[in-house]
Amino acid sequence: MERSEEYIKNERKKEWRVELQKKTKAKDRMSIERVHMTERAPEDRIKSQRIEVNKGLTAEEAMVEATRCMDCVNPTCMEGCPVSINIPKFIKNIERGDFLQAASVLKETSALPAVCGRVCPQEIQCEQRCFYVEKLHQPAVAIGYLERFAADFERESGKISVPQLAESNGIKIAVIGSGPSGLSFAGDMVKLGYDVTVFEALHEIGGVLKYGIPEFRLPNAVVDVEINNLRRMGVKFITNFIVGQTESLDDLKKEGFKAFYVGSGAGLPRFMNIPGENSNGILSSNEYLTRVNLMGADAEDSDTPVLRGKNIVVVGGGNTAMDSVRTAKRLGAEKAMIVYRRSEEEMPARIEEVHHAKQEGIEFSTLTNPIEYIADENGRVKQVRVQKMKLGEPDASGRRRPIPIEGFEYIIDATVVVVAVGVSPNPLIPNSVEGLDVSRWGTIEVVKDKMQSSIPEVFAGGDIVRGGATVILAMGDGRKAAANMNIYLKEKYLSQKVEN
Amino acid sequence: MKEFNSLDDILDFAINEEQMAADFYTDLAAKMQNQEMKEIFEQYALEEIGHRPKLEAIKKGKQYKVAEDKIVDLKIGDYLIDVDAEKTNITYQEALILAMKKEKAAFKLYNDLATITTDMASKKVFLMLAQEEAKHKLRFEIEYDNNILTEN
Repeated sequence: MERSEEYIKNERKKEWRVELQKKTKAKDRMSIERVHMTERAPEDRIKSQRIEVNKGLTAEEAMVEATRCMDCVNPTCMEGCPVSINIPKFIKNIERGDFLQAASVLKETSALPAVCGRVCPQEIQCEQRCFYVEKLHQPAVAIGYLERFAADFERESGKISVPQLAESNGIKIAVIGSGPSGLSFAGDMVKLGYDVTVFEALHEIGGVLKYGIPEFRLPNAVVDVEINNLRRMGVKFITNFIVGQTESLDDLKKEGFKAFYVGSGAGLPRFMNIPGENSNGILSSNEYLTRVNLMGADAEDSDTPVLRGKNIVVVGGGNTAMDSVRTAKRLGAEKAMIVYRRSEEEMPARIEEVHHAKQEGIEFSTLTNPIEYIADENGRVKQVRVQKMKLGEPDASGRRRPIPIEGFEYIIDATVVVVAVGVSPNPLIPNSVEGLDVSRWGTIEVVKDKMQSSIPEVFAGGDIVRGGATVILAMGDGRKAAANMNIYLKEKYLSQKVEN
Repeated sequence: MKEFNSLDDILDFAINEEQMAADFYTDLAAKMQNQEMKEIFEQYALEEIGHRPKLEAIKKGKQYKVAEDKIVDLKIGDYLIDVDAEKTNITYQEALILAMKKEKAAFKLYNDLATITTDMASKKVFLMLAQEEAKHKLRFEIEYDNNILTEN
């Protein structure tokens, strides 16, 4: 897909765009207030894990919000998008009421628009680069809300378009892991004519989108539609298949796969290594969320239940911590609390998620660090000893680090503790493939922007390279890897020199 | 308990401690299955050896002073359980815990020696050595804070 600056400019000069540009004066566009996302009331939504918090925009709201977009000559918002969506083009299609065309523009470069419209941190990416923020210091055009609107409209209309595909070249490509990075890569490669098979270790496709992100933020049905879209494009999916165990990379090579994209993610939970951490009732956020999101443990009659309790303590301040603590609330916790050793300002979670958590009655104990878990006579956790912290003076890097306040320790009651302090890369591929360069963090080393590993036919991206990042950055890696693997394969197998 | 009869004695002891720490990391490096972890422990060993010239320079008469500002103690390692140094598959998180605890123990040793000694010149040397170890510990704590405690 052509994405040059000239292409973007020419698109902007199309007759319908010029007509729209003239239709509404700049000052009238700027006088419109940013749309507010309608949410389900906290007391209603916490009744179920499956009730989505945000309701989405109506067509009228979307068209008005789209009118705010200035259709800038130099759309800086696009520079903030890791998958380079033609943002003004899809938004202007919404403004003119052609919602299906808007969805089609999204799919030119994004395999998962309905997902990204829900979980991307637009406030630090495209929206942060919006004209309104950069030049007017006003709220950005709600690009994320509009993306979700267009993708949802298409899905609900039933008129789901399939992007244009190149003629098949018969070259077999294996994708290891069906998370956002693998799916994004698969989408681009199938468009280029490759024969793509995605291998997934679990019984469901979607990786972290399914096992990690709760349905109140991202319904599985939304993910499934995007996956089915890839199926319709020709991507094959094989579940319950662990590359490195079920079969090795070499086995797959013997079966004719010419190149590999490793997007196996960061599914290895990290713990704090403090006393008592092995007590019963302390689990990783990976386990907690997977049991609920993937195995349906929120249902009373589930075959694979999860521990419930009155007092749930979740350790950490990222999105996973927010997902875990809000899940605990929905599972009936009377008191669900975040314990985080830095201040709220430094929480890596999205502001929206912290806001929603507070609305739902989640307690926040910041500048508080667990230092020991205390178990009962049966080895089951009953309390957490915590150390109160304060922020120190900025160090050489300018960062204020938390320092313990001498003598200020206390006890918090806990029936279940969920540890959400970060994840490490899945070790299976890094440990099982000879010749693969791996960092001290266990991540696969790749050539930056090419995503090619020390083994030329193995590319990698997403959390297995980054160690823990966002859905959209993982997708961006998938796109870069696809573009570069295409060059590599064409040169190697199709005797076609490709301009870089 | 070891007796120190001169400042040179103290410095020789400290130089030997640095060498022992370097040997400890070199042995660990040799045991590691993972190449990257081998390199990390080799790097730690080099850092320990790198502390020697400063001590040797002081022994030869180079002036030193004990900074008045206390080195920040994030106390990250204080709450963590010990890592089994006999393992052959130590992770990077565990390597940092090992290093933080080792530096803390060295700091405590010199600080305790400074507390119990009555000779002011010796006290000053011990305090300087304690400060050096506190700096080394802080270097590992910052690495742990930046890379392991990313979501906490």
